[in-house]
Amino acid sequence: MSNLTTASVVCLECDTEVAVSTGAELGDILACRGCGQEHEVVEVAPTIRLDRAPEIEEDWGE
Amino acid sequence: MSETADVLVSVTMVRPEERLLLEALRATGLTAQTALPRHTAAVLNNAAPRPRMVLLRNVSHRELASMAARFEHADVETLNTPHAVRLCLAKDLQAIAFANHDVPHPTTHIAFTVEQVRAYVDALGGDAVVKPISGSWGRGIVRLADEAQFDAWVGGREALDPAGKEFPVVVQEYVPKPGYNERVHVVGDRPIVAYRQVGSGLRTNTHQGGAVEPIPISDRARDLCARVVACFGPGFYGVDLAESKETGEMYVLEVNTNPDFAQSSKIHGVDIAGHVAAYVRDAVFARAEVAA
Repeated sequence: MSNLTTASVVCLECDTEVAVSTGAELGDILACRGCGQEHEVVEVAPTIRLDRAPEIEEDWGE
Repeated sequence: MSETADVLVSVTMVRPEERLLLEALRATGLTAQTALPRHTAAVLNNAAPRPRMVLLRNVSHRELASMAARFEHADVETLNTPHAVRLCLAKDLQAIAFANHDVPHPTTHIAFTVEQVRAYVDALGGDAVVKPISGSWGRGIVRLADEAQFDAWVGGREALDPAGKEFPVVVQEYVPKPGYNERVHVVGDRPIVAYRQVGSGLRTNTHQGGAVEPIPISDRARDLCARVVACFGPGFYGVDLAESKETGEMYVLEVNTNPDFAQSSKIHGVDIAGHVAAYVRDAVFARAEVAA
């Protein structure tokens, strides 16, 4: 991933800035360095948008 | 989604496996991008060009089944095919398909009630394995080898599922394994790597902490994988094989449509993502040539 980040995305729990690479993919999981909340990248264009990451469910698997 | 990539990788979330697949697909010259269900709306609503193929990698089985069905009805080609996905996501359907295609599989019965479970465990000699239809990573699998274990299973089930909504289950012959399963990854119609998933007890999945020991692909494993492909069609599978340490017979335990491979690849060194990407590239270009 690139080291370039956007500066305008913040944690949905604690408002800490979350670093997002310009190479982010839809579905990438990013953890907040402040509180640990995991986020999922749900939009990359025209702007980055995060939701809370999905939590493992009983139907997940191979 | 402003433009549709050649290949959409349908995901619940991006794991190391999906990142490896994206990189491998792009290395073939195809354009590839991930898509959560919400990002497929334009394609499914005919508001955006269709991708040339969709790689189904949703880790949520409910999501995987529904996305496979949507792409099927939208006439978008997927890997794996919706037929294969349906079989892989349901152990009861797999058992029926195996029986109809001479794929060696432990004797398996579908049970819709506790009474049926009891009858089938008895029919299997009082020592059997009960599995949820749609479980994965070894979840919910239990061996019932005596009356006390059976009663404990029934009691736990009544507490968690008093209405019996989680039925049916499959009741399967217990195979005394020599401490490992064999996992073979199939891409297209070819097995590309085999390794043992070593662990004590019923669960040897690497996801459950099973160790990985690479082994050559045996003739017996090739034969079993060929039977699986004849039944499921070409695709990308994790085929789990188990050998009885008592009889030496080898069975296909199950076929996984969305196999994990990032951790095991570090040990066996085979570029599974590269094999999948090459298969996708060849399939896409072959179809383009036919269309031309």
